[in-house]
Amino acid sequence: MSAQQAIKVENLNKSFGSGDTFVDVIHDASFTIYKGELVALVAPSGAGKTTLLMMIGCVDTPVSGKIWIGDEKVYDNKWLTKTTRKIRREKLGFIFQAHYLIPFLNVIDNLVLLPQANKVDEKVAKTKARELLKYFDIAEKEKAMPSQLSGGQNQRVAIARALVNDPEIILADEPTAALDSARSIDVVKMLKKIAKEQNVAIVMVTHDERVLPYCDKIMKIENKKTVFEDVSAVK
Amino acid sequence: MIHLAKEDIKHTFGKFIVTAMGVGMLLGIVLIMIGVYRGMIVDAEVLLDDLAVDLWIVQENTLGPFAESSRVHEDLKNTIKAIEGIDKSEAITFQNIQLPRADKKVRVMAVGYDIFGEINPINPQRLIAGRTLKHDHYEIVVEEKTGFRLYDKIKLSRHYYTVVGVTHGAVSSGGDSLVYISLKDAQELQFSYSNKRIHSDRARGIYNKDSHMVNAVIATVKDGYSIDEIADTIQKWHHKSVYTKEEQKIVLTRNLIEKASKQIGLFTAILILVSTIIIALIIYTMTLEKMKEISIMKLIGLPNSTIIKMIVEETLLLGIFAFIFGNIFSHLIYSKFPKRVVLEIPDAWMLFAIIIIASILASFIGVKKVINADPTAAIGG
Repeated sequence: MSAQQAIKVENLNKSFGSGDTFVDVIHDASFTIYKGELVALVAPSGAGKTTLLMMIGCVDTPVSGKIWIGDEKVYDNKWLTKTTRKIRREKLGFIFQAHYLIPFLNVIDNLVLLPQANKVDEKVAKTKARELLKYFDIAEKEKAMPSQLSGGQNQRVAIARALVNDPEIILADEPTAALDSARSIDVVKMLKKIAKEQNVAIVMVTHDERVLPYCDKIMKIENKKTVFEDVSAVK
Repeated sequence: MIHLAKEDIKHTFGKFIVTAMGVGMLLGIVLIMIGVYRGMIVDAEVLLDDLAVDLWIVQENTLGPFAESSRVHEDLKNTIKAIEGIDKSEAITFQNIQLPRADKKVRVMAVGYDIFGEINPINPQRLIAGRTLKHDHYEIVVEEKTGFRLYDKIKLSRHYYTVVGVTHGAVSSGGDSLVYISLKDAQELQFSYSNKRIHSDRARGIYNKDSHMVNAVIATVKDGYSIDEIADTIQKWHHKSVYTKEEQKIVLTRNLIEKASKQIGLFTAILILVSTIIIALIIYTMTLEKMKEISIMKLIGLPNSTIIKMIVEETLLLGIFAFIFGNIFSHLIYSKFPKRVVLEIPDAWMLFAIIIIASILASFIGVKKVINADPTAAIGG
């Protein structure tokens, strides 16, 4: 059985400014990422990692190119849907450097918020949320407020939130930046396990070379283009 | 169903309540201001309602004793009484005087009436101690807020008056307490001068001929007769200005307290505007404090409507809580005001409607901030 496509990008371009201030950030980037893969997006600071992440996350608008989320083409030199927020809500999950949970909602409500916006029945959403909390071994914390949890527990709740709407892709922006080496590796191992078990593609922006051997693919931005590097080369 | 506004308020409940109490105190003052205006109208009508007469006959081309100087002869009451359809007719005087108390002087309005006449201006329901006037001289009925008690002696002009009765809530349109004295005493107080003045006047060839003047003649009309027709007759044949009870009320409420009501209205409008601005600033600050969360909500895909609903609901809840605190505050302090404050439920509901509209307007500034929030602000530390 061939792997299912999660993201496909063709000839994607992004630049800022014009004239003397023109900066070409991404030029003719083309790649495909499949479900079940954990892909590390690596590049020096200012090379366009977050810009690329935001474009495939349907947050930032490219100058030109094509983007598919799953089998659905969402961008073809223009957004093909009325609102990109619906795509994000239904098909994407986000993990940030800090947990960024909503501080005035308890753990279960943080998880149920997005399915509720997707008109999922509350009972169904809560059942799914509880399954995820159990999966991440924090089921007993469902009524706790984020301020009552440790950093690690909050990070697990944030990952659970990214999964609660059954996304096709999870976009993670430096999720290990604030963690020590051992914890960073634990988190990446967990993300890899999630990618496999939940059949979801995870694109992870990272500066941390220690975690690269645990990823399935490494995507680099070189000369404004994306290139895949063999993981075995960094092992 | 998660109510973001409710959860956010729960999270910062103490801060929210203190804020609502602060705005509530402002709204409480708004209610008090409206209550002061209502109190002025009630005060203005106390005397008219207590007298319960149909006609006020006053000096020609004047609005009557409450609005300007009015003098008519006392015996006009007999002429009026003779008109067909008139039931009762009496002469009456009004004058502002200062009652000397040990510590200070108390400004009051003295009502002079014929104690043997047909119309008694003292409403028996207001009498809380003593009796009405029985003797033609040197008795006085006071209102409790003057501070005098039964059988106190009060020196007015050349004589001592004994307090024979105490009333509650009898006030003039200006909010001064009403005191009642006999017509003869009132005429003496109003139209008799000191010995020195009399000597001086006589040296100038001036003789006081005004001692049988009064400020108005009041009359009631028999059943079956038209008040307006009788008023027209008096106006036409006796060269006097005549007002019905309703017209006199209009004189009091429109002419006398119009400026005061405009002033209060302007103050009230300014206070409501200030409250709206304060609510808007509070909501703006509350929104600014949540910008990171709002950016995250937008980034993960929550629709604007969900976030805007939270802001608008929080603003409305702030307005509602402030309104509740405002009501509590105004009811706690209104009795401490020197003049009558009347808090009416319809006024409170009107303020509630205004606050709801003001809160919605105030939320726009927070909503605008939400709409313009950049979801990418959630990325990168």
